[in-house]
Amino acid sequence: MNQAETALWWARARAAGPQRIPPGGPTPAGMLRLPEPDGSGAWLLPVLPDSASAAVLDELGLPGHVLEHPNDTARVLAACVRCCWADPAGPLWPGVAAPWEQVAAAFMAIVGREEAVSHRALLAGVRRLARSGWLLWDEGAPAIRLGPRVAAWNAAQLSTLREMCRSMPSAGGEVPGHPA
Amino acid sequence: MLDELTTEAAVLRVYRQAFAVLAREAGAMILDADLIDVDEAILEAFAAAGSDGLTAAEVVAACHRFDARVVERRLGVLRDYRAISKVVDRPNAQHYRAAFAPYIMLLFLRRLAERGGQSELHQLLTLEHLNVSHQDAVAGDGQASVSRLTKVFRLLANELTSLVQRGAAEALRENAQLLWGNRSLIVQAEEVHAVVLGRWPGLGSQCALLRISLAAYGDAIEAAAGRLIEQAGATRALGFLSAETWVSFARRSDTETLAAVLDSFVFDAPAPWLSPQALAEAVESARPAGGTRSRPPRPDDSQDVAEKDLMPTDDTAELQATAERLLGDRGAASVAELLDEAGDWPTGRRLAAEMIAIHHHPDLGFELRWGDGLRIEAESFPSWVSDGWFGRLAEAPQ
Repeated sequence: MNQAETALWWARARAAGPQRIPPGGPTPAGMLRLPEPDGSGAWLLPVLPDSASAAVLDELGLPGHVLEHPNDTARVLAACVRCCWADPAGPLWPGVAAPWEQVAAAFMAIVGREEAVSHRALLAGVRRLARSGWLLWDEGAPAIRLGPRVAAWNAAQLSTLREMCRSMPSAGGEVPGHPA
Repeated sequence: MLDELTTEAAVLRVYRQAFAVLAREAGAMILDADLIDVDEAILEAFAAAGSDGLTAAEVVAACHRFDARVVERRLGVLRDYRAISKVVDRPNAQHYRAAFAPYIMLLFLRRLAERGGQSELHQLLTLEHLNVSHQDAVAGDGQASVSRLTKVFRLLANELTSLVQRGAAEALRENAQLLWGNRSLIVQAEEVHAVVLGRWPGLGSQCALLRISLAAYGDAIEAAAGRLIEQAGATRALGFLSAETWVSFARRSDTETLAAVLDSFVFDAPAPWLSPQALAEAVESARPAGGTRSRPPRPDDSQDVAEKDLMPTDDTAELQATAERLLGDRGAASVAELLDEAGDWPTGRRLAAEMIAIHHHPDLGFELRWGDGLRIEAESFPSWVSDGWFGRLAEAPQ
């Protein structure tokens, strides 16, 4: 893959988010290739060095991408991580598909609101996250998977997540890592 | 002379016919653009009718989309301007036919209204180019052509310049079609100019006038565009049209048309960053918000109990005195006997309680012993008493 093609892939990733490609073919420089578990394709995820990632904006106190309802959205993602992370000892990607009801129960256990209110927040959060590549979910689909962007979290961040999953209120009493 | 008069009359007739579609009534301009639609319907009816023509009633019937009175009034106006005339010119003839000039005019007006006259200008320039390039053309044609173009561009430039200098920005925006496609207008005019100058070098002074008027038009465009951009700011292109135009564009366009607007733009994908730390904090912060929040402890309002009240009460002396009083110099007394001495149940009850308290007091040398017997006297007080003795302990610790 030459320089121009690499630049093109980076431009695509910037304009349209992580890209799904058919299996095979070269990987552009600086990108992570995340194969789908069933081998039907792969995701190209731009990997930025720590000194250039979005976290730097936080450190510098600069405004990043605007996210509506940041707290609820983060809770939705937390609920999904808890339901989809099959083996908390291993990597997050690709995870397993979690049924919508399970995610909804996990989210309700976090927020503890009425069901209607919580469902609305969940649906909005899932839509936002699916649009930006954090989740894989088609409108109306019965199951949710983690999106390719979760693979960008590094090992230290994963241990934060492990701790979070352990301390999260359980929904339906299932053990973390052994979803029903 | 007669020929000239005839020619003039013919020209006047065409003018009048052409003007008919714009006439509200004889001698006045229309005020409502919808009347043009009525005229068009009338002329269509005549076109469909063939050479026999139509009666007024037939025209009204053919134009049933419109109010009959309106159609009749338009018929009258068109007749006054000779845009329609009797097939046979007799006083009682009923059939009319239409002239073609009004319809041509109508088409022209329609185009002018839709395109703002821009394409007419382009066609005019093309025609001028053909005229001056024609092999039969003479210097007079070239001069006439250059002079016409000079006037057209002078008028355009004057209108724009006055708008830029004095008009409100809104007026400038409404006339923005004068700005569109202007570069190609100038290029076309320059081509005509080049042909004329090449063929008839003697027309140099007229050509210089044309060049000046073209340059003036170019300057006016620059000034107007600058003014519009300055006024519209960052959304410069949006300011070109009125808000209503944009709204109707957005309502009536299909998805592809709407999407085509953003063809040349690149947007970043939605890419909010969510760190695991933020996730953990959000989950953590959600908990107190739940409905199961517990009540904070209330401050204790009651007064502090005095310290002496907290000390254990010591009634040893009182109980000792009571026991001595009950027993007197006796070593022991039966409970039944003591109760009989008490006399009534409230006193006897208190007495029983005191005896039990004395019995249980660790420092007092008295005891209460119960036996198996039972004294029953249904009529007297107490009606029954268990067999029991209250007395001093054998080896009193005192």
